[in-house]
Amino acid sequence: MRSLSVLPYMVFVLLLWIALLSVCSTRAESNRATERMAMVTEQIVARGVKDPATVAAMRAVPRHRFVPRIQAASAYADRPLPIGHGQTISQPFIVAYMTEIVRPGPGRKILEIGTGSGYQAAVLAATGAEVYSIEIIPELATAAAARLRELGYGAVQTRAADGYYGWAEQAPFDAIIVTAASEFVPPPLIEQLKDAGLMILPVGSPFFVQTLMLVQKHGEAITSANLMPVRFVPFRRAE
Amino acid sequence: MRVTGRDYRRHCALALVSAALLAFQIALLQIIATSQWHHFAAFVISIALLGFGAAGTLLALTRNWMVTHQDQLLPLLLSACAAALAGALWLTRALFGGFDSLLLFVDPGELLRLVAVACLLMLPFLCGALAIGLIFTAGAERIGSYYFANMLGSGIGCPLGLVGLSLLLPQQLPPLCAMLPLAATGILLAGERRSANHLGLLLAVGLTSVALLHPAQLPLSQYKDLSRTLDLPGATIIARHPAAAGQVHVVAAPGLRSATGVSLNWSGPLPSTAAVFVNGDMVGSLPPTPGQVDPRDASTYALPYALGMSHEVLVLDAGTGSAVLQALARGAARVVAVESHGLLAEVLAASAPESFGRLIADPAVAWQQTAPRTWLARDRQSYDLVILPDAGSFGGNAGLFALHEQPLLTREALGQAWQRLSPEGLLAITAWVDYPVRTPVRLAASLVEMLVNAGVSDPAAHIAAVRSWGTITFCVKRTPFKAAEVQRVRAFATRWSFDPALLPGLQAEERQTHNRLQDGTFLTLLEALFDERRTTLYNDYAFRIQPVSDDRPFFAQFLRWYRLEAMLALYGQRTLPFLESGLLVAGLAALVLVFLATVLILLPLTRLPSTTRRGWRTLLYFGGLGIGYMWTELALIHRFVFYLGQPVYATALVIGVMLTGSAIGSALTGRLKRLRPGRWTALVAAALLLHALLLAPILQATLPLALQGRITLALLALLPAAVVMGMPFPLGLRLLNREQPAQVPWAWGINGCCSVVGAAMATLLAVEVGYSLLLVLAAGAYLVAVASCNSRAAPARPR
Repeated sequence: MRSLSVLPYMVFVLLLWIALLSVCSTRAESNRATERMAMVTEQIVARGVKDPATVAAMRAVPRHRFVPRIQAASAYADRPLPIGHGQTISQPFIVAYMTEIVRPGPGRKILEIGTGSGYQAAVLAATGAEVYSIEIIPELATAAAARLRELGYGAVQTRAADGYYGWAEQAPFDAIIVTAASEFVPPPLIEQLKDAGLMILPVGSPFFVQTLMLVQKHGEAITSANLMPVRFVPFRRAE
Repeated sequence: MRVTGRDYRRHCALALVSAALLAFQIALLQIIATSQWHHFAAFVISIALLGFGAAGTLLALTRNWMVTHQDQLLPLLLSACAAALAGALWLTRALFGGFDSLLLFVDPGELLRLVAVACLLMLPFLCGALAIGLIFTAGAERIGSYYFANMLGSGIGCPLGLVGLSLLLPQQLPPLCAMLPLAATGILLAGERRSANHLGLLLAVGLTSVALLHPAQLPLSQYKDLSRTLDLPGATIIARHPAAAGQVHVVAAPGLRSATGVSLNWSGPLPSTAAVFVNGDMVGSLPPTPGQVDPRDASTYALPYALGMSHEVLVLDAGTGSAVLQALARGAARVVAVESHGLLAEVLAASAPESFGRLIADPAVAWQQTAPRTWLARDRQSYDLVILPDAGSFGGNAGLFALHEQPLLTREALGQAWQRLSPEGLLAITAWVDYPVRTPVRLAASLVEMLVNAGVSDPAAHIAAVRSWGTITFCVKRTPFKAAEVQRVRAFATRWSFDPALLPGLQAEERQTHNRLQDGTFLTLLEALFDERRTTLYNDYAFRIQPVSDDRPFFAQFLRWYRLEAMLALYGQRTLPFLESGLLVAGLAALVLVFLATVLILLPLTRLPSTTRRGWRTLLYFGGLGIGYMWTELALIHRFVFYLGQPVYATALVIGVMLTGSAIGSALTGRLKRLRPGRWTALVAAALLLHALLLAPILQATLPLALQGRITLALLALLPAAVVMGMPFPLGLRLLNREQPAQVPWAWGINGCCSVVGAAMATLLAVEVGYSLLLVLAAGAYLVAVASCNSRAAPARPR
């Protein structure tokens, strides 16, 4: 009998707790949106990314939903974050820089090699581009596909496979983004580029992108260009 | 002094526990180097070794109680040491399984994990060192023979650890090491009836047995090459072999391919292959099997063959044999392949008979298992082509190799390679182009200086370099390039969409036809190396790019401390460590160790009797000995690794001889009672100065001797100094026991702390001032100890 008498209080405390969590969650979402706007202004636009579609996509995609929960508070920090399996979600500026280079938008068909968390694919999709994404680590591929669907980017086509072969059924592509570069550029990917198509690959360690390699196809001719996301000032002694 | 049965038992126990701790240290180094990275291994182990210092502090604080209860405590401490040896790794994994050193600069929580892991790993050293320190403190009058047992045990522990690593996986060794202190406990308890001690022993035996059956290991960092490869679907380990020089893994996966720096024009297939790892770091992939095309021919590695036929080829650091296969395929009549890793060729031949095995079996290939530098110094043949190993790695190496010695990329090594070239011979070396550009510029500078030192008046006429999207290959020719050869380089570059970077008669517009650089600094720097701007460039460039020498063979160390602030401003605190982490971690380790050591050294001062407060002499004497010994050991290891040609065994020889020699020296002090610490310490300083002056030229002159001759000479050079170096510590401790007995454990702790700090600082000093000066500085540390003796002599004689 005594235990029944405390039941209403327990229910009340539980409801209070749920309400509190809900308020906190709404506030957290609101805070994240503010952080995202600040990220775009301070880290992306201020560093020269001007493409309106890219900037709008970076403002729209909730980056904090693509990082492990433990890293959510750092989601909008100016740095890459670990996502497991030795992979990272790139620094926001690098994602924006790569997105701007491939000129995404409606009617553009883009292949991503290395889905990772799915964030880059979501940003591309948010511009209206038709996005195909391949991930070789099955666990990452499954989680990213579910996340993209859940967040409303279900139009992104994903596949758990070896990115070396590209996505021959959907080729040719206007652009290819390789988010985890290797010591060589897979020949099938170059084949799957349209004429005048371009491919971009980051070169560096997991937490430091040194350069971005831009590969361009003009008929039979393939050229590359090394782009520097952070310009280094040489020949200077410390002041 | 009468020697009792108890003394004999204690000597045996000392030797056994000392051997166990040293063998464990060697195993731990490989375990952490495999699961994380080498410089983090040094960091973690340094902190763990502070257990010796902590033991000294504890002993100093509780000396009377511990000495009173020594008979009960010693077996318990040894049992605890055994239990900690057997269980520390297992506990580390269970409690902090997710530790990842690469995340240290990303997640502040990782730093706490690192400290916790280091503290857990400190436990065996703390327990073992407490036992050793207690024996020293309780029997300070017999310190000579006790120190002998301690040093001899350590001297035996070193080869024991290496033999263990050659036969077993490193994670299997700690429980085996635990059996030594268990045996020591058994020896101490023989004939005794103390139930608490027997219970402790029983528990330790149980734990060791469990650990033997279920050995633990630290988890592999998710960012290690091996870990990332094993994450690939279908990845299988096709060979795994323990080796003292680093355990070898061969892993195959359907998605694993290799075509380092292949041209963007390459349209052929890139078949799946197997990759080879040493201590978890990828060293290369297996060469193609017969019938498979080799994409290496479509990379800048093919430049020397585009220049003409090479009949006699020397491949240094042959690794997985890709360069050897290419040389054979391009018509070489004879290839000499030199590789220092003792087991690599054997393991690869067995696990990949179709690809690597055929290279071993080919009569045109001579595999030499020795250090390439030793081979270069002793070989008298000439070659049409000498191929050096790659400089740098894809995507940069984030400074992970900043503290790795690269003896093949020094001025002296390049000079020797140049001497091995036939009259029309070529030297070829490939580098990854990093950004900010450092590796290929330092390499080009080294090649230009090699030519200048060889008396070449126009170095530009002797160098050709071709750049792809990621690599650059340099070819240096003994004679100036002819017009036809220059044309061949141009044709090769055009065929594969490469750009000539250095070539006689090269026009500026030719250098970026296929692979454009947004930042042209690299090409400007290359140009500047060929004229009087070179020295200015060395001084003014943000990174160190001047050629390195044998005395400071850290080719991948580019960081200038004075540029740190500017770099931090440009890249940010969290990014910079991924640009140049090696030296930063070493610097951080030294700071942490100095702080911890200072705390451990100062703490006992609060409890020491007021009459003993003037302990600065003790501090200087035993601190000087600790630092001086470590600096000497590391400087000598460097010299003899190069001299003997087998890095692992040379290191074992130097450590083994040093410790055994010191043990002999220590034993002698027990027989020669009138020896004065100051004089013998001064003799050590003099011996070290003599070594600093004469050792290098003697070793250079005797390098052509056979291995047995060189080992004999090494023993002759090392042993006398080691014997003398073993005397100052027991002499000082015995004197201290007469004058200030309360300070004995403190002095021992100081010595332990300073040894660890000394080892950490030695690496930084070697990078900054070189190994020769390190030996002089070691002599300086001994002179500091001498100075403290002289000031001690006047006031403090026993009454």
